[in-house]
Amino acid sequence: MGYRAENLLNMLKAATPTLLGLFGVLVLSLPLRLVEGHLPTPIIPLVVVFFWSVYSPDYMPSPSVFIIGLLQDLLTGGPLGLWASVYLVTQFVVTSQRSYFLGREQKVVWLGFTLAAVSASLMLWLVMSLMSGVLLPLGGLLGQMAATILIYPLFGAAFRELHSRVLLEA
Amino acid sequence: MDYLGQDRREGLGRKANSRVLLFLLILVSIFLLLSSLYSAQASVFQKAREGVLDATSPILELFSGPIAAVNNAIGYVSDYFSVLEQNKALRDENAELRQWMNEALELRTVVAGYEGLAGYQAPPVAKPISAYVIGESNDVFAKSMIINAGRRQSVESGQAVVDADGMIGRIVNAGANASRVLLLTDVQSRVPVYIEGADAEGILVGRTRARPAIAVIDSPDEIEIRPGQRVLTSGAGGVLPRGLPIGLIEEGNGDITVDLYANYVRTRLVRVINYSFPAIDDASPLIDGASPAGAAGPESGRADARAAAGEG
Repeated sequence: MGYRAENLLNMLKAATPTLLGLFGVLVLSLPLRLVEGHLPTPIIPLVVVFFWSVYSPDYMPSPSVFIIGLLQDLLTGGPLGLWASVYLVTQFVVTSQRSYFLGREQKVVWLGFTLAAVSASLMLWLVMSLMSGVLLPLGGLLGQMAATILIYPLFGAAFRELHSRVLLEA
Repeated sequence: MDYLGQDRREGLGRKANSRVLLFLLILVSIFLLLSSLYSAQASVFQKAREGVLDATSPILELFSGPIAAVNNAIGYVSDYFSVLEQNKALRDENAELRQWMNEALELRTVVAGYEGLAGYQAPPVAKPISAYVIGESNDVFAKSMIINAGRRQSVESGQAVVDADGMIGRIVNAGANASRVLLLTDVQSRVPVYIEGADAEGILVGRTRARPAIAVIDSPDEIEIRPGQRVLTSGAGGVLPRGLPIGLIEEGNGDITVDLYANYVRTRLVRVINYSFPAIDDASPLIDGASPAGAAGPESGRADARAAAGEG
C-alpha cells in the first residue's frame, strides 16, 4: 500500500467513532417509526460517546462530541446546545470515572451506562421543563432511554470488536 | 480486548484532547443554550438551521424512501390479517359518506345561490404545495418533521401543514429545498382554534403528549364543551385559513384535550397551505370602519400570530 493510501486509511480509522456518532444523529432524524411508532428510537450517539470516552478517549475528542451534539440539536429542531451539553457533560463525568471502568466486567460497565443515561435524561428533562415553563411528562423520555439502555450490550459488543479488530489494527 | 483502554494516542484527538478543551466546550454549549432561550429567532441560528436542513435533505431523502417502503410492506402484512373487519368497516363508512355527499351536493346549490347575491366577495383561495415527509425528530421534547419542499416551492415560515386526515402542524424553518414542520404536539406549538357547536375560540397548546390541550378559551356566552365536538383552526391572527380540521374534543370541562385527526405514525404525503389573508384594501366596503378583529392588515396580523405561536 502506498504511503498516501495508508495515511488516508489511518485518518478514516481515527474518524470512525465520530462518523458513527453522526450516523446515530441521522438515525434520530429519519422517520423510522419502529413497530408502528411503538418502539422509541434508541439514542445511538449516547452509546458511541460513552463507549469511546471509557475505552479510548483519543478516538472521541471533545470537539467531535460537540459537533455530534450540535448537529443533533440542529436536525431535531430543539434548542441549540442542549444535546451538545448533555453529551459533553456525560463525557466529562465518564472520563473522570475511567480508571474505575477499565478492566471491569461488561455488566458493571452496562450499569455505569444506565447511570449515565438516567442522569442525561434528568438533565434533559430539567432543562426542557425550565425552558418551556411547565413540568413536562417524563414517560416518553424514560421509554426512549430504556430502549437506549437495552441496546447498549449489543452495540457495546459490536464497538468492542470494531475497536480492537479494525481501528487498532496496524 | 487487551488493547481496549490503552492510551495509544492514535485517534483524532491525539493532539487536541484535554480536560481544558472539554470544559471550555461545555461552557460554549451552555452559553448557546442560554442564548437560544432569549433569542431563538436570531438570524444566525435561523440561518444555521436552514443551512443544515438544505445540506442534509438529500441524505434524508435517500434514506426515507426505502424506510417508507419497508414500513408500507409491514403495514400490508398486518392489514392482511384484518382485511375482513376492515372491509366491513369501510362499507359502513361508505354508506354514511354517500349520505353526506348527497347533503353536500344539495348545500352546494344553496350556497351558489347565496353567492350570486350582490356584494359577495369570495375569500382568497389557499394554494396547497405537496411534499413528502423525509425526516422526523425522534426526540421526546422536540416534535417536528422535515418535508422536501422549501422556499423554492414558495413554502414560508408560519404556513399550515395538513395531511389527508387533518392539520399536522406549521412551518417553522424554511430552507431552500426542505422545511421543518412543528407538530401540534410540540410543547412550543400554539394554534388559534375554534370549537364547532360550542361557539368558543381558544388556543391549542402542545404538551409533548399525544393529545394537545385547549388552554385559553374566549367566548361571549357561557360555553358548553362536550366530547366529540369538532376543533378547527379559527384563522385568528391571519396566517392560517379558517376551518382546517384539527380533531375532536375528548374531555368536556376541566382539562380540555383534543384527539387529533392526524396520525403522525402514518403521515407521509402532506400539503403546505400557502394562504394569504385578504388585505384591508381589497376587502369588502361593508367592513370599512367597523374593522372586525379578523380583518386587521396582513403584516400586523402576522406579527401577532408569530408572538402567539412562540415559534423558534
